[in-house]
Amino acid sequence: MNKIGKLLPFSMLMAFYGFGQQPTKSMARQGHVSFFSYTSVEHIKAENNQVLSIVDFTTGEIAVSMLMNAFIFEKALMREHFNESYVESDIYPKATFVGRIVDFDPYLIGEQTRIVEGKFTMHGVTKELQIKTKITRTNESLVLSGTFEALVKDYEIKIPPLLAGNIAKTISVDFNFECLPYEN
Amino acid sequence: MVFCLSLHQVKAQNELLDILDKEHSDTVPQFVPATFKSTRITYGHSVETRKKGILEVFAATRFWNTPELRSQSFGVDKLNARIALEYGINDRLTAGIGGSTWDGVFDAFVKYRLVRQRSNGQGSPFGVTVFQNSSYNSDAISNPYVLDGFSNRLSFTTQLLIAKKINSDFSLQITPTFIHRSAVYTQDERQNHLALGFGGRYKLGPHVSLVSEYYTVFNPVESIDTYGPFAIGANWELGDVMLQFMLTNAPSMVESSFIAETRNNFNFKNPNLNFGFNFTYIIHFKRQLKGLKQGGKTR
Repeated sequence: MNKIGKLLPFSMLMAFYGFGQQPTKSMARQGHVSFFSYTSVEHIKAENNQVLSIVDFTTGEIAVSMLMNAFIFEKALMREHFNESYVESDIYPKATFVGRIVDFDPYLIGEQTRIVEGKFTMHGVTKELQIKTKITRTNESLVLSGTFEALVKDYEIKIPPLLAGNIAKTISVDFNFECLPYEN
Repeated sequence: MVFCLSLHQVKAQNELLDILDKEHSDTVPQFVPATFKSTRITYGHSVETRKKGILEVFAATRFWNTPELRSQSFGVDKLNARIALEYGINDRLTAGIGGSTWDGVFDAFVKYRLVRQRSNGQGSPFGVTVFQNSSYNSDAISNPYVLDGFSNRLSFTTQLLIAKKINSDFSLQITPTFIHRSAVYTQDERQNHLALGFGGRYKLGPHVSLVSEYYTVFNPVESIDTYGPFAIGANWELGDVMLQFMLTNAPSMVESSFIAETRNNFNFKNPNLNFGFNFTYIIHFKRQLKGLKQGGKTR
């Protein structure tokens, strides 16, 4: 008894400390974002495999950040045009999303489908978005995936009239982030 | 209370973004893209090289009038056309061959990107490309006192293309140039020339830019009067096609010839004013993403 009594504050401290060490954030360093533009003239696809994403379990908040010039296109020249003439990535190098997962249960093992609402910023324009997201949790990782659509016009990206047939007015965006526990 | 809560939330979200920003800085170096959009500024080469597996089909024409009063061809009395193929062997090395109709010059070049400009203050603040060409003049040398052999019909141009993208709209290039001409007009003529080129681009819109270029030769050809070639024009890019329009005084499209042997000054008199047009069509032989077929959704 005496011995336990002596150890109790210590073991409580241990437990507390251990809880403190438990990461409350989960981060994806190699998240995938791809977008598609389908028109009768041309299909354009681009992939970015270096998207960063972080989820805070305590608040259900989420942030995503990607470098526009990390998008890989089928044609090398498309990438150059995309950065230079469309999204102007030297002025607006990143696209970001900050938001919150509504009714997020971070400790639910398995699959849950939730709405993520927040602000998406690209090409200097911020839009409110609500994205249906599939969240799958295993012991280690948290996988978020989903699809949403973005209107090119909304983000003030100009398409020359001669190429209007080559680029879709609505771009479909797929994302998949595999987040692992993040420690500062 | 609600306001406080939302304020707190915004702060927390920004903290998350800050964490991501720190992570971004650890990723691969970022090179400044598209100092110039095309491999030419106007008539001269730009610091740009094509990416691996890209074939450029390059067709350029220069039109001008003869000074005769009876000319009726509205600017197209004379025509010089150069057709060339240029291939990106890797992201830094490009090689090309071409031929011109008016002066009968065939040329080949290699271009290697030595230094790439980096953004955000790290690495090199400018880009450097080396350029070497050789050209063969297929027309017979008219002077009977000059030996007309194969080696006497060759010319070589070496250039160091140094360019800086100053901001997203404005790029400048300086081009120290060395020219050796074996094909000379008279016996005791100077064969080696040093020149310095200046070029610039200003973006008028996302797809259109204003370009200009000038070369000055420090020790010009003595047997004929020559002038520095000047050009002002517009570049317009449309997906796989790039169009360049220019006004220039250089009818030739081969370096040794237009830098050292331009015989017209730039003004609006015939035959000095040339209307120039470069057409570039880009074919990708190497696709970076697989699995996307034209004509059907494969997703």
